[in-house]
Amino acid sequence: MKKRVLAALLASALAAGTLAGCGNSDSAPADAGAGTAQEDTGKAEDAGAESNSGGKASEEESAESTGTESDGAQAADAVVTEPTSLTFIFADGDEGAKASMNEIVNKFNETYPDITVTIEPGNGGAYSEFIKTKDSVGEFPDIMEMRDTAMYVRAGKLEPLADDIVSLFRTAIAFDGKVYTAPLGGENTNGIIYNKTYFDENGWTEPATYDEFIELCQKIKDKGDMAPLVVGGQDIWHMGFWFHKAYNDQVLSKDGDFIKHCYDGSKDFGDETFKATFEELKTIMQYAQDGWASTPDAQITTFLVNDMAAMMYSGTHMFSQISQADPDFEMGWFAIPSPDGKTRLVGGGGVGGLAISAESAKDANKKAAAEAFIKFFYAPENYKIYCETLSAIPSTVDSPELNVPDVFQEVIDANGTADDLAPMWNGRVEENELPPDFRNFTYKTLIEVLQGTRGFCL
Amino acid sequence: MNKKRKIDKTALAFIAPAFIFFTLFIIVPTISSVYYSFTSWDGISPTVKFVGLANYKEIFTSARFGNALKNTVILTVFISVFENSIALGLALLVDNVKWGKNFFRSGFYIPVLISGIVSGFIWKIMYNYNFGTFNALLSKLGLDAWKQDWLGNSALTLLMIGIVLIWKGAGYYMIIYLASLQSVSQDLIEAAQIDGASPWQRFRSITMPLISGAFTINFTLSLINGLKVFDQINVMTDGGPGFTSETLVYLLYKVGFNEGRQGFGTAVGIMLIFIIIVLNTIQQKFLRSREVQM
Repeated sequence: MKKRVLAALLASALAAGTLAGCGNSDSAPADAGAGTAQEDTGKAEDAGAESNSGGKASEEESAESTGTESDGAQAADAVVTEPTSLTFIFADGDEGAKASMNEIVNKFNETYPDITVTIEPGNGGAYSEFIKTKDSVGEFPDIMEMRDTAMYVRAGKLEPLADDIVSLFRTAIAFDGKVYTAPLGGENTNGIIYNKTYFDENGWTEPATYDEFIELCQKIKDKGDMAPLVVGGQDIWHMGFWFHKAYNDQVLSKDGDFIKHCYDGSKDFGDETFKATFEELKTIMQYAQDGWASTPDAQITTFLVNDMAAMMYSGTHMFSQISQADPDFEMGWFAIPSPDGKTRLVGGGGVGGLAISAESAKDANKKAAAEAFIKFFYAPENYKIYCETLSAIPSTVDSPELNVPDVFQEVIDANGTADDLAPMWNGRVEENELPPDFRNFTYKTLIEVLQGTRGFCL
Repeated sequence: MNKKRKIDKTALAFIAPAFIFFTLFIIVPTISSVYYSFTSWDGISPTVKFVGLANYKEIFTSARFGNALKNTVILTVFISVFENSIALGLALLVDNVKWGKNFFRSGFYIPVLISGIVSGFIWKIMYNYNFGTFNALLSKLGLDAWKQDWLGNSALTLLMIGIVLIWKGAGYYMIIYLASLQSVSQDLIEAAQIDGASPWQRFRSITMPLISGAFTINFTLSLINGLKVFDQINVMTDGGPGFTSETLVYLLYKVGFNEGRQGFGTAVGIMLIFIIIVLNTIQQKFLRSREVQM
């Protein structure tokens, strides 16, 4: 109930801020790379050293056996004291997910003769409801792909993951200091996908700073043969990509707990940093194509491949769409640097991922077996199967070498070198969790500000 | 006495099914929604907290409700006026046309048969700025300066939705006007003609009063339809750009189902019922007084 009141407060605070918030909108250059809600488990160079196998679970297991191909088969005896079977459910709506999961599970069962992981069918279409139903009829699986993590953590249904599992990942979301999910893939990293041929023809290169990016947009606009940017503003979640970029630059960089501070009343949406977010977007959006507010996201590929726009800002899922629309289209990718010179990307593990049932973990053998399975799954040679099939950005520190297009590899590399890697602003949990639908409310407000129908005194 | 009771039982048996279903699915939810409008229920939780008049207080102070009310009124007035004018015009044309009467009658009625969602999609494609029919047509005619972002320009959005609603609804009202027109006695018209009345005088003084019953029905229906438009807004604009095409019904849906504020959403629904009752009463009073009984 408290949350409901807070939701109302937040909504009215934003409305008040945007309607009445006239003031000096200096945007001090962001510098403090302040923390984000998620726990950065680090780029610890050697953290992934043990991730190659299930070896870590057995303390007596010697380092020699962690060879990539052996997959810790020798460790199998040490993991469980008696034959153990586990049930595993994931969202199997996607054929790729189904095929890769089956392959990894089969490999695991061969490697660990004492453990049998059985895949139970998961209802891909309405997976969240399916898991809820499974839980209510007492068939909660031992290991599962978890999506509504916060809800199940609050209900005490999930077992916290051991530190040696958590350390396998670049980032992980913690609830009260404990991590419950092993992220299946990194969050979809947004960046500029551009027409490489057009850039080459004009001798333009990828901008290294925010100012260079704006200059580039201006050059394309001045040339006049295509729009600098194509924006699918009719689908407000597309506006979310842009909003998060500016919000990350202006707000999160200075205060990772901004939403929490709005809840406790020490800050509100009239904050200078929040205004600066809208200002940054006003600058960028003047380079969007005519009619951006009524262009659906589904149309932006058409703009790019038909030389109607030079750049789009979206996630890696666009690569295959663009290639399908025009197999000869040569695309490039770069991240838009923040005005303070840092590179902040959407990425790392989100709140969902593989989780272990708390009930099942009461049985020491099941717990050990489940942990062994998760470690096995994320071992580079196994995890590679999943990432390649689903075009997922590896979320592990010790990323597998993927056989993917160059442009996709660029994104993976950028994930490794970014100054900051975090989920979208609406993917945060606990004290920074947004009220339901608050993000859409914000995006709609943003569109009104950009169109000038709502003032923010910019 | 016995006989009378028997008749009652039979009547009751006939009434009962409809009565039970109507009570269960219309009356009970309506009454219980009055209760929920005084709570902060989120639509899912088993716990329901009573918050008194807080939701209504928010309604009267929130800019979002005001905006939605304004949009609803604009859209409803626009639709009621133009839908009826156009429907009457079409009915007169179809009534007087010498050949192809059935063809025109069916032609104008076809949009009515298309679902709201489908009509929304069709028009959304036609309105599209870069690939849509209207802008392409303007370009072909050399009128590039007239090209508009029909659904993305907040000054035009409501008007564009209104046009779709009229296109879809006018045929229905046309049929009602047509039926009414055909019941106007030719004797009266002829008599007036002999007396030297001009076509306009005949229409104003004879036809209009005689079809005023159709006016009442059509205005009432278009008013109610205007107040509860949902499909087209959902498909074409999602209440946008921003909040510029968010109507009361759409606000109710967004708040109640997306934001998890069922209590507040229900309060908006109750307000909507009041608005409909008040407007309808005024309209009935005004229109009924003009009706002429033959």
